Amino acid sequence: MKTLRLPSALALLLIPALVHAADFEGYGTSIFRLEQKAAPGFDKKTIIPFTQFAGADLDQIADGNLSLHLYGWERVDLGDRSTSEKNSDGDLSYGFLAYRFPKANAEVKGGRFFVNQGVASEQLDGVGARTDLAGGFGVSAFGGAPVKLDRGSNTKGDFIAGGRGSYRYGNLLEVGFSGLHETGGIFDPTTGVKRDRELIGGDLWCGPSRFVEVNGHTYYDMSREGVAEHSYQLLLRPFKTIGVSGLYNQADLVHFYAGSNLRSLFNPDQGGMVRSYGGTVTWYAAAPLELNADYRHIHRSDNFETELNGGSDRFGAEARITALDKKLRSGVSYHRVSGATGFNSYHEGRGYVMYDSGRYIGSLDAIGQIYQTRIYNSKNAFELIASTGMRIMPQLTLSGELSYGQNPRLADDLKGLVRLTFNYVAQGKGAKK
Amino acid sequence: MTRVKLLSLLLIIAGALAISACAVVSKQASLPSWHPEQLGEGRPDCTECHEEQIKAVGKPSQTFKHTTEFVRQHRLYASQDEKVCALCHKFSFCNACHANELEIKPSTFLGNRPDRELPHRGDYLTLHMIDGKADPTSCYRCHGRSNNERCVSCHK
Ligand code: HEC
Ligand code: HEC
Ligand code: HEC
Ligand code: HEC
Ligand code: HEC
Repeated sequence: MKTLRLPSALALLLIPALVHAADFEGYGTSIFRLEQKAAPGFDKKTIIPFTQFAGADLDQIADGNLSLHLYGWERVDLGDRSTSEKNSDGDLSYGFLAYRFPKANAEVKGGRFFVNQGVASEQLDGVGARTDLAGGFGVSAFGGAPVKLDRGSNTKGDFIAGGRGSYRYGNLLEVGFSGLHETGGIFDPTTGVKRDRELIGGDLWCGPSRFVEVNGHTYYDMSREGVAEHSYQLLLRPFKTIGVSGLYNQADLVHFYAGSNLRSLFNPDQGGMVRSYGGTVTWYAAAPLELNADYRHIHRSDNFETELNGGSDRFGAEARITALDKKLRSGVSYHRVSGATGFNSYHEGRGYVMYDSGRYIGSLDAIGQIYQTRIYNSKNAFELIASTGMRIMPQLTLSGELSYGQNPRLADDLKGLVRLTFNYVAQGKGAKK
Repeated sequence: MTRVKLLSLLLIIAGALAISACAVVSKQASLPSWHPEQLGEGRPDCTECHEEQIKAVGKPSQTFKHTTEFVRQHRLYASQDEKVCALCHKFSFCNACHANELEIKPSTFLGNRPDRELPHRGDYLTLHMIDGKADPTSCYRCHGRSNNERCVSCHK
């Protein structure tokens, strides 16, 4: 399936010439990067990757309810190799036909696409369908072949199917139940055994009043039988200008990592548990100013319930200013991550300002960290990015960045980037966008 | 094996057709295929234009207001209200951060958008050693089963 690459996707761009009365939108981003990599002890490399992203949407085909959607990218290296793989690569992110029914939000689609439904966040080559039912119910389902990674056929299973059913009670409550089955989706490299990946989950949204809202989900791993994660959020809006949220997340790694295909990093057999809780307070102080403070405590323990890294806290604040009809956007933030051991502790500060006049766009962005304990003999890192851009035509924007930084890995990190974005819209008779 | 696959596929298609033909299907008109009002860049505040409720989904317009917190926790909404997100977002928008295979980190791809809530700003190859240790669960969502070919070069 991987062979169905951008050239064929681009060939499909020619279709609109053949189809009458269809809305066509073609868009893309071309990115030239120029980076010098000089990690201590390694040869200096100059990498010049050129990456083309391209997408197309064809709406109102046939009886007006059929549409086609494509997106993908292709990269070639003009200098030294930019990845440890080939000096050119690409990926078709999605390419599917969809038929939307005029009633009940019913839709059928086929091809390569992403699904986000309850337990499932997947990319597959297959079919999907959904519809609202009478009385507040809704169903959706999908099935097909999961899209594997270049690395090999064991990275995903051979067949995947799943779906979600939901029930909405007025404007008060929505509950969902979802499931997923992936044949051979779990590969254990140490034993060579393949098992099925199976997940079920329940999700909830509840808004008892204008001021209170709760949402979240619990997912259960059927392959090893145990709760994979709980994730819940409570939102309070006591005043129009103040928002408060509380968050609770819990992941049991035996089950949460069950489907891992990178066991050197995410190893379900090692077990362990990550629990985190925290919250944020947002204050819309005045029309242009938003202030945000957040706190999170993370408790990571191993199989024997001992805390790893002593647990950590992450807290900080951010101020965002959006003014002059959103033309001017800027922000400053400070965050502190504090692990009990001193390793794993740092301060982070960031500030940016951007201005978009319609024709010209420019921004400055600075970020820096101070580590509590030296990393590769260095105590801090920073990066400065200057960006400028110009809308040459309504459909065409040229922009570029220059960034300079110093960090534990690189004494001098200088990077350049040039970006060309285009967006072309041609409307048939059914104007709607 | 392939027969089983084909069969299940057919079953799903048949199921889907049955569902859409079924009398229990809602009689309500579908959402428009695209949000009728053009919105510019910058985070939209649904409450500016919509009444208290977004009727088609039975949730307050407050719920979808793109606050900082909504953006940070968008996964909770995305997995319930895919059809609402699809009103304004093509999946290519999500692809800047969510992909099976990608080689440019979001903050480089969108280096001209410092106002966006993009993960991995700055020197992330160093910082990730700390963030990843403190809480690897968020990393797993994007790198656990997909988009991890680059990680393999160090995490063998
Ligand atoms: C600049 C004004 C504006 C903003 C901001 C805006 N909308 Fe809309 N929206 C409209 C208009 C105008 C319509 C078409 C009239 C209608 O049907 O209400 C519409 C229609 C819709 C519809 C279909 C009709 C319905 O009410 O069910 C949905 C769903 C919707 N908007 C959701 C949202 C969400 C979610 C947000 C925030 C993320 C949002 N809108 C922000 C102006 C806006
Ligand atoms: C009414 C239109 C509308 C709807 C509906 C909508 N969004 Fe958005 N969303 C936007 C706009 C406009 C932006 C800002 C894009 C930009 O700044 O370039 C945005 C930005 C975002 C961002 C990026 C924010 C950032 O700072 O990087 C995320 C994530 C997002 N939306 C998720 C969702 C999800 C999930 C849903 C469905 C629950 C959804 N949106 C529904 C219009 C919408
Ligand atoms: C600016 C980058 C960015 C964009 C754009 C973005 N996301 Fe996300 N998404 C994230 C991050 C970061 C997380 C992890 C958050 C966490 O761990 O709480 C995430 C998590 C998710 C998850 C949970 C995945 C899982 O396996 O648990 C879903 C579903 C999701 N996003 C859907 C979407 C959709 C749909 C869109 C487009 C409308 C979108 N996202 C756009 C950054 C982004
Ligand atoms: C919303 C999805 C998302 C989440 C959540 C996420 N990443 Fe990433 N990450 C990406 C994307 C997209 C890239 C760019 C692809 C690449 O470079 O291979 C990337 C790149 C990276 C890189 C390479 C950075 C560089 O400078 O080249 C590292 C390291 C990394 N991620 C680690 C992590 C860690 C650790 C976490 C958890 C704390 C995490 N990621 C969470 C999407 C995500
Ligand atoms: C340039 C080499 C390199 C690359 C590429 C790299 N990492 Fe790492 N990573 C490291 C090192 C070194 C550590 C620290 C290991 C330690 O201290 O035990 C680390 C630690 C981590 C940790 C913490 C592990 C733990 O539980 O203690 C996570 C999670 C992680 N990396 C995720 C990723 C992800 C995801 C990617 C790919 C997107 C990635 N890394 C790419 C070098 C790398």
